[in-house]
Amino acid sequence: MSSAIQIEQLVKTFGSTRALDGLDLEVRTGEVHGFLGPNGSGKTVTIRILLGLLRADSGTVSLLGGDPWSDAVELHRHIAYVPGDVNLWPNLSGGETIDLLTRLREGGGSVGRQAVDLAKRDELIERLALDPTKKSRTYSKGNRQKVALIAGLSSSADVLLLDEPTSGLDPLMESVFQECVLEATAEGRTVLLSSHILAEVEKLCDRVTIIRQGRTVQSGTLDEMRHLTRTSISVATDRPITGLAAIDGVHDVAADDGEVRFDVDAGALDGTIRHVSSFGIRSLVSQPPTLEELFLRHYGDELDVASGRLDEAASS
Amino acid sequence: MTGLAVDAAVTPAAGENSRFAPSSDSSFTGTRRLLWLVLRRDRFRIAMWMLGLVGLMVVSASSIVALYTTNEDLEGYARTVRGNSALIIQAGPGYGLDDPTLGAVVMNETALWMFIAAAVMSVFMVVRHTRTEEEAERAELVRAAPVGRHAALASAMIGTLVVNTAIGAGNAVALLTFGLPTAGSLAFGASLVGVGMVFAGVAAVTAQVASGSRTALAAGGLVIGVAFVLRAIGDVGNGLLSWASPLGWAQSIRAYADERWWVLALPVVTTVVLVVAARALQDHRDYGSGLVAQRSGRPEATAQLSTALGLAVRLQRGSLVGWAAGLGALAFFYGLVADQAEQILEDNPDMADFFAQLGVASVTDAFLSTAMLIMTLFATGFTVSSVLRLRSEELSGRVDPLLAGPIDRRQWASSHLAIALAGTVALAFVCGAAMGAGTALMLGEADRVGELIGAGLVMVPAMWLLAGATLLVYGLLPRWSLAAWALVAWAFVAAMFGSLLDLPQWLLNLSPFQHVPALPAAPMSWLPIVLLAAIAAALIAAGLAALDRRDMA
Repeated sequence: MSSAIQIEQLVKTFGSTRALDGLDLEVRTGEVHGFLGPNGSGKTVTIRILLGLLRADSGTVSLLGGDPWSDAVELHRHIAYVPGDVNLWPNLSGGETIDLLTRLREGGGSVGRQAVDLAKRDELIERLALDPTKKSRTYSKGNRQKVALIAGLSSSADVLLLDEPTSGLDPLMESVFQECVLEATAEGRTVLLSSHILAEVEKLCDRVTIIRQGRTVQSGTLDEMRHLTRTSISVATDRPITGLAAIDGVHDVAADDGEVRFDVDAGALDGTIRHVSSFGIRSLVSQPPTLEELFLRHYGDELDVASGRLDEAASS
Repeated sequence: MTGLAVDAAVTPAAGENSRFAPSSDSSFTGTRRLLWLVLRRDRFRIAMWMLGLVGLMVVSASSIVALYTTNEDLEGYARTVRGNSALIIQAGPGYGLDDPTLGAVVMNETALWMFIAAAVMSVFMVVRHTRTEEEAERAELVRAAPVGRHAALASAMIGTLVVNTAIGAGNAVALLTFGLPTAGSLAFGASLVGVGMVFAGVAAVTAQVASGSRTALAAGGLVIGVAFVLRAIGDVGNGLLSWASPLGWAQSIRAYADERWWVLALPVVTTVVLVVAARALQDHRDYGSGLVAQRSGRPEATAQLSTALGLAVRLQRGSLVGWAAGLGALAFFYGLVADQAEQILEDNPDMADFFAQLGVASVTDAFLSTAMLIMTLFATGFTVSSVLRLRSEELSGRVDPLLAGPIDRRQWASSHLAIALAGTVALAFVCGAAMGAGTALMLGEADRVGELIGAGLVMVPAMWLLAGATLLVYGLLPRWSLAAWALVAWAFVAAMFGSLLDLPQWLLNLSPFQHVPALPAAPMSWLPIVLLAAIAAALIAAGLAALDRRDMA
C-alpha cells in the first residue's frame, strides 16, 4: 500500500453550497503531507469525510485501503485526529480527557501497552508543559489544543489527521509540536497536516496539496512546486540591460537607480541569466520562491492563469 | 484558587484630566443593545412560551366556562376540592371556593402550574443569557466592546421582565375575554409577572455563585422545588409557611376572591433585593467563573473512564443524582400527606359517590396513583434531557474526538441512551420507594412501599417511549431535537388538564402515560406495558438507524 489516503473527484454539497467540488488528494504512506487552502476552502470538510462524520456525495475516498464511511470503526483504530478548534468536557480534567481518548482508541488494551502509553503521555505532558489537573473549562484555547495533541501524539496510530493543530500554540510549543511530528514520521507514521502556518509546512512537509473552493489547484513536492514558480531577481550591470522584457518567461521588469528587478519562470531562468550576463553583472540577488508566494498566487486572481500554466507544465 | 476579583485594587490612577475618568457608572453601558440581542436570539423560545402559557389559559378557561354554567355546578366543584389536602397540594389553598365563582375555579385549576411554568422559564432565560454565554465564550466578544460589566445581567433581567409581562398581559386579556372580572384578571396577570421575576432574580444570584451554568440552573430549579413544598405544607396547614414561598405569594393575591393588592409588594421588593445582591456578587467574581471556585481534577482518569459508557456515566451522574434527590424528596412528601385524602370521604358524601362511580376502591389509592403520574412526568424531564445530551455533545464538537476513535455512532449514542433508560428506571424506583416510605410512615402500612415501587416502575415503558421518540427526532431531524420537549409537554397537558379540557380521547391517547394502568388505584394489566415497551424499542432502533445514515454536525 503506497497511499495512506487516496481521494478522487470528491464532491460534498450542503444544500446549494458545493463545499467540495471534485477534490483530489493523495497522501503517500510515511510522508508528511501539507494540506493548504484559505478559510472555507474545504479542508475541514475533507478531514471530516475522512473521519466518517460526513458522507461524500460522489467521488472515491480511500483511507488505509478502507472506506471511511462504512469501515469507520476499524479504520479509527489506526488513526488519530487533532481538531483545530478543540472543545472539551468542561468538568473533566485535562489528564482525564487524555486518558479517556487514549483508552477509547486502544480499547482498554493490555497492561503492557498501557504502561508504554503512560510513559509517552507523561513525557508529552512534560514537554508541552500542560497542567493535567485543571478542569477543561478553565483551559485556554492553547491548553485545550495541547490536550488534543497529547491524546493524538501519544497514540500508536498509523495516520495522524491534524487540522490546524497549532493554531492556539505559542512559538515555543509550536517547535515542540514540530519535533513530535518529525519523531512520528521517523517511526514510519503518515501525517496529513492542514495548516495556515507556511513556515511549519515548509519545515515539516514532504508534499503539499493546495485547494481552493473545494478543488485541488496544485499538488506535489515543495521542490516541484518551486520549480513551477518564478524566481525574483535583482541585478546591477555595467551596461543597461536591453531586450529583457522580450524574453519569454520574464515578468514585471522594473528599473530602479541602475538596478533591474524582475521575476522569471523556472524554465526561462538559464536563458535569462545568460542574456543578463552579457551586460556585465556587478551584483545579483536571487530569491527562491517561497511557499507563501505559491499560496498567495493560488488565492489571488491569477488562479486561472496559474492552473493554465500548470496544465502546460503537466503536459510538457 | 478563588473566584474573587480584586477590581477595586486595580482601578487605574486616573488623573483629573484623564479622558478615561468615568463620569458616571458605566457598568451598564450597552444594556439596550444587548436587550435587543436577548429578544432577537430568543424570539422562537419566547413565542413558544407565550403560545403555551397563554394558549393553555385560553383552553382551560373556555372549558371551565362551558362546564360550570350554574351555581350548583360551581358549588359541586368547590365541595370536592375544599379541605382536600391531596388536591390542595396540587392546586393551592382554593381562595374564593367558600362562595365559588368561575374565576376562583379557573384559578384553582390553573394558577399554580402557570406560576411554576413562569418560574422555570425565567430561571432558564436568565442563566442562558449570563453564565451560559460566558461559558460559550461568546460573551467575551461582547465584553470586549464598550459594554459594561453588568450589562449582560441587566439585559437578561429586562428581557425576562418583557417576556413575563407579555405572558402576564396575555393571560389577563384571555381571562377578560371570557367575561371574568377585571380586578381578578389583572391581579392574576400581575402575580404571574411577579413570580416570574422573583425566580429571575433567584437565577441572577445563582448565576453569580454557582461554579458553572448547569449548576446555576440546578440551583434555580431547587429553589422552585423548595418554594413548591413550602407553600404545599403551608396551604395544607395553617398557611404560615406559604408566606415563605414566592409561589405562595402569587396565590395570596387572591385573584377573583377579594384581591389583596399589597401582596404584590413582596415579589417587587424581593426581586429588587435579589438583583441588587446579584449585581454586588458579580463585582466579586471573575468573568467565566462563579464565587464557588472550580476544584482541581485528577491528573489521571480512573479505570471507569475508559469507554464511551464510562464517559456518559461521568457526564450524567451529577444530574441523575440531583433529579433523584429532588424527586425523592417531593415523592416522600406526597406520601406523607396521602392519608389526608381519606378525610374527604368522611367529610364529603358527594365525593364518596364520585369515587364509587369511578369504581375506585380507595381515595388514598386514587391520590397516590395521580401523585405517581405527576412524579414520573417530572422524571421524564430527566429522560428527555439525558437523550438530548447527544445533541449538545454533537453541536459542541466534543463528539468528534470520540467518533475519530474506534467507536461507531451506535455505540456512542447507546452510551447516553443507556444512562437515559437506566436512569429512568432508577428515578421511577426512587419515586415509588420515597412515596411508599412516606405513605407507610403515616398509614402504618409497610406493604405500601412495595406497592408504590410497582406503581412507579409500571410507568417506565411510557417514559422509555418518550426517550425513543426523542432519539428518533434527534436521529432524523437533529435541528428539531428540542421538539422532543413538546412530547413531554403534551403528556403533561393530557395528564393534568385532559379531563378538564374535555379533549377527544384519540388526542389524549397520543400521550403514552394514558395507557399505563394507574396503580395502585387500578388493577395491573400487562398488555399496554408490553406494547409501550415494544414501541419504545422500535423507536430506539429507528433513531439509531437514522443517526447512522446522516451527516454529523
